[in-house]
Amino acid sequence: MRMEQAVARAVAGATDAGDAYTRALQAIAEALEWPLAAAWEPNAHDPDELGCVAIWAADEEGPRAFADLTRTLSLRPGEGLPGRVWRSGRPVWITDAALDAHLPRQRAAATSGLHAAVAFPVRSERGLVGVIEIFGAQQREPDAALVAALEVAGAHLGQLVERRRAEGSRHASEQRYRATLQAALDCVVTMDHRGRVVEFNPAAERTFGYRSEDAIGREMAELIVPPDLRESHRRGLARYLAGGAPRVLDQRFEIEAVRADGTRFPVELAITRIDVPGPPLFTGYLRDITERRRAETELRESRARVVEAGDAARRRIERDLHDGAQQQLVSVAISLRAARDRIADDPIGASALLDDAIEDLAEGLAELRELARGIHPVVLMEGGLEPAVRGLVRRSSVPARLLSAPAGRLPHAVESAAYFVVAEALTNVTRHAAGATLVEIALTRANGRLVVEVRDDAGGGADPEGGGLRGLADRIAALDGTLDVHSPVGGGTTIHAELPCAS
Amino acid sequence: MARRVLIVDDHARFRRIARRALERDGWTIVGEASDGEEALHAVRALEPDVVVIDVGLPGMSGLQVARRVRDEMPELLVVVMSTRDSADYHELAVASGARGFLPKAELSSAALAALVSD
Repeated sequence: MRMEQAVARAVAGATDAGDAYTRALQAIAEALEWPLAAAWEPNAHDPDELGCVAIWAADEEGPRAFADLTRTLSLRPGEGLPGRVWRSGRPVWITDAALDAHLPRQRAAATSGLHAAVAFPVRSERGLVGVIEIFGAQQREPDAALVAALEVAGAHLGQLVERRRAEGSRHASEQRYRATLQAALDCVVTMDHRGRVVEFNPAAERTFGYRSEDAIGREMAELIVPPDLRESHRRGLARYLAGGAPRVLDQRFEIEAVRADGTRFPVELAITRIDVPGPPLFTGYLRDITERRRAETELRESRARVVEAGDAARRRIERDLHDGAQQQLVSVAISLRAARDRIADDPIGASALLDDAIEDLAEGLAELRELARGIHPVVLMEGGLEPAVRGLVRRSSVPARLLSAPAGRLPHAVESAAYFVVAEALTNVTRHAAGATLVEIALTRANGRLVVEVRDDAGGGADPEGGGLRGLADRIAALDGTLDVHSPVGGGTTIHAELPCAS
Repeated sequence: MARRVLIVDDHARFRRIARRALERDGWTIVGEASDGEEALHAVRALEPDVVVIDVGLPGMSGLQVARRVRDEMPELLVVVMSTRDSADYHELAVASGARGFLPKAELSSAALAALVSD
């Protein structure tokens, strides 16, 4: 009984299972005044192999040497003193281990001055969990009362070690859970069955604007649920607690939440019930999806604009064809018909009509060429950005100058976008910038980007959403680029576009 | 026979061509108009026998102008023209009170005479 109490006292302050063993071994060995005690357990990776998990030795040369050897050993069931106990489940007493030729450590025991040896099982609710062996400095005959006391101590120790081990793993899992919660990008908010917040992680603090210590204890509905949704939240919780079928648990849905400053925002939410004894806890995982929603809206609008721009371009081409080349061809047809009607009676008149037809045909061809260039300039595909922009500069009705252009070719989409930025800017100057006397264009390549800058010297005040600029912005955004319009009143207009063009 | 013509088209070049083609064959071009309002003024002021009107006018369409002319001066002969196909416009033109439809490319003294005679 004293032995069991000594073990219980020794183990009480242990920090973990290993420490509990060491303290128990020392208590047992010191109570018997024996110089060495060791604990054995099956290896985690091989349950058919016992390894020493803790050892206590008196501070003397012999026991220390024996302890060093013991630490390196592994034993099969039936092998050595611990193996015998492991296989039989019963204590083993050896009067003098230094004389027992069956023991793997017989020689070491002899040279270390260890003789009497007792080993007994360590048991818990799981059954046999380990073996403890102790060695005395003298021979000793078996002592049934001592063996019985050690068996009781072994049973007690087994329970204590198991409890420490469970606490240890619970503690470790708690630590892991805390770390996960702290680092989580999603808001994690846990509430109890009364709807009160019991957990509020750092992501929730950042997103909702409450400190964890201020949030904990408050009603969750009042904290993060928008006012008009609070009642249905409370009713839902009450209904579930009264035994109703869960409607929101374990599924992902999108809903609105509210921040400390009262602003509402969309969240993606999943709620799960935590299985704990007693009243339930519920954990909500929330993600602020404002940015995703904004991006979705922007994408939708941008797609719509691209489609609209395509339609507008087709309408413009139809109108240009109708007003331009088609009118010219109509004139040609009329002149040719008239010439045919009079060629017999009035060859000179007919000849004049043919001259008209030839002139109209030339003008029609010129119009078609211009239109085709507006749809997509061939020179851009064949010669690249510089000659294409030089063409725009030559044809510009406001004097224009190309200050710089990158050598070599760029990806086709980049060249195209840059070309249309310049073309649109020049068109806008002609149409809207009254008083412009010079337009300067610079195309430069830096840090994997093509920078397009078009600057005029007119009065400024251009509408960045106006003209073809919105459509250009979409075209550039599709290439991951940016378009900025700087147009202070009285300060000229600068259009600045940047397009990624990794070489 | 009706020989006094008003030409209504927003393209100056076409008006010039049409005038040249018709005048050579003895038609009198009493005036030109480039949109519906101008056309209605000219009709009242110049009293032409025939009005040739392009469908695609800015503002009031050529067909609307044709209806207004029919309402105000039913005796006036209206011919609707377009660069587009006659299949698109013939019935619409007649429903608007026009004598007929003429694809622009087929405009000639003979074609106009065929539409406005009898």
